[in-house]
Amino acid sequence: MFNSNFYTLKQAMDVSLLRQNVHSLNIANVSTPGYKRKYVAFEEFLKESEMKLKLSKTNEKHLIGSESVAEPLVLVDNTTTMRNDGNNVDIDYEMVQLVKNGLRYQVLTRLMSLNIDRYNAVLRGVR
Amino acid sequence: MMSEFDIMNISATGMSAQRLRVEIVSTNIANAETTRTETGEPYRRKVPVFAEYLKRSMDGKIESAGVKVVRIEEDPSPFRLVYDPTHPDADENGYVRMPNVNIVREMVDLINAQRAYDANVAAFNVTKAMVNSALQIGRG
Repeated sequence: MFNSNFYTLKQAMDVSLLRQNVHSLNIANVSTPGYKRKYVAFEEFLKESEMKLKLSKTNEKHLIGSESVAEPLVLVDNTTTMRNDGNNVDIDYEMVQLVKNGLRYQVLTRLMSLNIDRYNAVLRGVR
Repeated sequence: MMSEFDIMNISATGMSAQRLRVEIVSTNIANAETTRTETGEPYRRKVPVFAEYLKRSMDGKIESAGVKVVRIEEDPSPFRLVYDPTHPDADENGYVRMPNVNIVREMVDLINAQRAYDANVAAFNVTKAMVNSALQIGRG
């Protein structure tokens, strides 16, 4: 009954929340010796999943399979070192990414609201 | 799966760790000239040891939940020797053993801790804005 916008937006918001988690972790551990920064890989997988073949339905009783096409993954960046103590958190980069991610989340919530408004308009028959 | 409130807790662990660091730096600065302590030795510079805080989540996976101070250690570096025969704690050659605290280094550490604290506060505020905007969904 509902279009897939709800699902798409939900997934985007979930990934945004996960990113927030990871950036907060990196910022909290900015002075922890030996800590390596974490990051979320998602867009790469999304592109990959677009290229995958999807099962076609020849009968309406066929199952559509899992709707989730890509799952975000938290990875650890072991390749760099910023300081003598082995920590590789770049505080400026993390702050900028954190603020960007917060704004992106607000855009997504706005889109979600607009999506709901469209259904409300149809249900009430008024604009 | 974490919630917004877990993310806020992460920032809180960061804030409390940095606050403890400021407290320890203050203690070091206050005791920069202390030649007598309970052990009879001059004051030794204290250093907080930070470690990643790992927690077992509901589904049994070990996940990172911020930072914690595992212990407060003492700097084993040698004491400063200052020549001052008039000092009551001077040895037979006139040298006084002073704490191994370097004020300049402590000040740098203090500013570092303050900036890191500010960064955690900023992260908390962004998370709060995200929760607030999520609460506005469907309100038109």
